Amino acid sequence: MVLAELVQYVATGLLVGGVYALMSIGLALIFGVMRVVNFAQGDFMMLGMYLTYFYAMSGSVDPLLGAILTIPPFFALGWAVHRGLLARVTGGGDPQRQMDAQLILTLGLSLVITNATTMILSPTPLGIRTAYATQAFALGPVLLNQARSYAFAMALLLAAAVYVFLTRTDLGKALRASADDPEAASYQGIDVRAMHGLAFGTGIALVAAAGGLLATYYPIEPTVAGNFIVLMFVAVVLGGLGSIPGAFVGGLVIGLVQSLTLLVLPFQLQNTGVFIVFLLVLYLRPQGLFGRRARTV
Amino acid sequence: MRPLSRTLIVVLTLALATPALFIRPAPAAEDVKIALVAPLSGRWARQGQLKKMGAEMAIEEINSQGGIKALGGAKIVLREADAGDSVEKAVSAAQRVLTREKISAGIGSWLSSFTLGVTEVAERLQVPWLSLSYADSITERGFRYTFQTSPVSSLQAEQALDLVTDLARKNNRPIKKAGIVGDNTAASMFFYKPLREKLLAAKGIELVVDDVWTPPLADATAIVQKLRSGQPDIVFYGATNFPDSIQVLQKIKEFGVKSPIQGVGAWLVTPEYVKAVGKEVLDNIQTVVAAHPMKGQEELVKKFKQRTGEPFMTQDPLCTYAHVWLIKEAIEQAKSADPKAIRDALAKIDISSGPAVSAFYPSRVKFDERGRRVGATPLIVQWQDGEPFTVVPTAVATRPIVWHK
Repeated sequence: MVLAELVQYVATGLLVGGVYALMSIGLALIFGVMRVVNFAQGDFMMLGMYLTYFYAMSGSVDPLLGAILTIPPFFALGWAVHRGLLARVTGGGDPQRQMDAQLILTLGLSLVITNATTMILSPTPLGIRTAYATQAFALGPVLLNQARSYAFAMALLLAAAVYVFLTRTDLGKALRASADDPEAASYQGIDVRAMHGLAFGTGIALVAAAGGLLATYYPIEPTVAGNFIVLMFVAVVLGGLGSIPGAFVGGLVIGLVQSLTLLVLPFQLQNTGVFIVFLLVLYLRPQGLFGRRARTV
Repeated sequence: MRPLSRTLIVVLTLALATPALFIRPAPAAEDVKIALVAPLSGRWARQGQLKKMGAEMAIEEINSQGGIKALGGAKIVLREADAGDSVEKAVSAAQRVLTREKISAGIGSWLSSFTLGVTEVAERLQVPWLSLSYADSITERGFRYTFQTSPVSSLQAEQALDLVTDLARKNNRPIKKAGIVGDNTAASMFFYKPLREKLLAAKGIELVVDDVWTPPLADATAIVQKLRSGQPDIVFYGATNFPDSIQVLQKIKEFGVKSPIQGVGAWLVTPEYVKAVGKEVLDNIQTVVAAHPMKGQEELVKKFKQRTGEPFMTQDPLCTYAHVWLIKEAIEQAKSADPKAIRDALAKIDISSGPAVSAFYPSRVKFDERGRRVGATPLIVQWQDGEPFTVVPTAVATRPIVWHK
C-alpha cells in the first residue's frame, strides 16, 4: 500500500512535470539562442489557452488537436513580435549593440498582454470541459488522469520533435551555430537575425501549445501566467540556462519535487521543496543540471 | 480711446467677472463620491467585477429616484480603484483613491486579507468603510470606521457545523469524521481555526484530513487521495482561487470521492463553475455565505440578470448593492456628505426595511461597538441542477435542502 502510494506520487509528479517541461523548453530556446529573458512567455501561453478555447467553442476542435493548431499562428506571432519589437532592442543579431532594454520590453509586453486580455475578454474564467479531464487510467491501484496523460504524451512528442529539428536539420544546426557564436555564424553566411526570429517564433509556438494542452484540464483566465512563470524560469535555470534537454528535465524535476514534497512536508510548503532543490542544485552545480560553461542549445 | 475709459472698462469687466469666479452654483447638488476598492485585475478580478455590477445598479436606482434627498438631490458617483492581486496593491489603491479627492465612504475589498489592509488606510484617513469580508480580525482591532455586514468566519464555522451535523443525523448518516481542505487566505483560516481547536472535538468528530495550501495549487491528486482513503463524512472546503477549486472538484469526480462538501464562501457559487466542471459534479455541494437571493427578492434578481446578462445573482453584487444603499441611508440621516458625520450615522443606524437591508439576513442593520452587524447570520446555499439556491434558513429558502445520497 505504501509502495503504491509512492508510485502514485511519482506518477502524478511526472504527469504534472511533463507540461512544465514543454512550457520551459520554449523559454530555454529563446534564452539559448537570443539571450533574451522573456518575461512575457507565460502570457503567450495564456493566449494559447484562449485560442484553444476558441477552436473548441467555434469549431468543436478537441483541445488536444487545438493545442497543435496553435503552433502556426503563434509561430507567426512570435516572428512578428521579434521583428517589430525585440529586434530593435536586442541588436538584431549585432552583438555589439546594447541589450539592456529587452528586460523592460518583455516585462512591459507581459503587462500589456495580461491587462488587454482582462479588458477585452473579461476576467471571467473559462474552461473547456473534456470527458478525459475527470477520468483516469487505472494501473492497478495507481490512477493516471487521462487529460494529464495525453498532455504528457503530446509534450514528449513535441519536445522530441524540437530535439530532432535542432540536431538533425540544417536549419536547426544554423540555429545552434547562431547561439554558440553569432559572429562566427554570420561569417558562415547564416542570417543571425532570421535565426533569432525563428527561435523566438518557435519558443512562443511551443509555449502556446503547452497552454493548449494545459487547457484540457486547467481553467483559462487572463492571469493564469502568474501561476506558472516562476516555475518555468526555475526549470530553465535548474536544467542549465539555455539547454533544451536541461529545461525538459528541469520541468519534470519540478513536477516530481512538488509531488514528493507532500510526502514529508505540509501542503503549504509545496513550492518550498522546489526552491530547496533549486538552491541545492545551484550550490552543487552552478551551471545547472545540463549546462555547459558556455551557452548552447 | 482715452486712458480713463480703458481703466473703467477693465474695472467694470473685473467687477462683473468676480462673482462668476467666486460664487459657485448652490453646493447642495454636489456629487457624493463613494469609493469601491476591489480586485479588478488579477486572479480575483471576477469577484471585483461582480461587486462593481452591484454597486452600479444601486447607484443608478438611487440617482434615478432623485438622489440623496437630504442633500438636495445630490447624485452618487462611484470611484473605483483596482485592488489587484496582492495586499500591497490593494492598500496603495485605497491610498490613491482616498487622497485624490474627497470621498464620503468606501466599500471593499472582497478578500479578507485585502480588507484588513484597506481598512487600515480608511481608518487613518477617517473614511467610513463597509465590507462583506468574513475574517474575525477585521473588526477585532478597535477600528471606528470599519463596518462588517457579514457574519464573521468563526461564527459561520459554528453555524455551518451545527447545521450539517443536524442534517446528517436526520438523514441517518451521523458525522463521525471530518476533513478540512482549502487555501490559507484569511477568511478560510478563521473558519478552520475554531473547527480544529474546539468545535469538532466538542461534537466528538474526528478530523481525518487537514490539508491547507498556499494558492496556486499545482495538483490536487494528493489531497483528493487523502479524502478517498480517509472517507470523511463531511469536507469543509475553502479553495477561494478558481483554478485550484476546479482541479480539486475534477479530481473528486475522477477518484469517485463521495464525501459531502460544505464550502466556505460565495466563491463556490459563481456561474463559471457550471461551465468548468458541469452541473453533475456540483449537485448538492453547499456553501455558507453572507448573502444570497432569498425568498421575496425575485424582482431584484430579475432586474440584475437583465442588466448584466449574468445567469444568477450571488453574494458579491448583492452585498455591494446593499452597501451603496446603506451609505445613502447614512447620508440621509447625517444630512451631510462628510465622512465623519456618515461614520457617526452608521454607528447609530438601526433600520429594518428597504433596499439597504433586504439583502442581509436577518433583514436589519445595526452595528455593535466593534462595527459588526448585530445578529448577522449566514445562509446556506446549495447547487441544485446547475444553479445555487438558498436552502437554509427555511423561512427565506428558495428551495428545500437535499442531503447527499
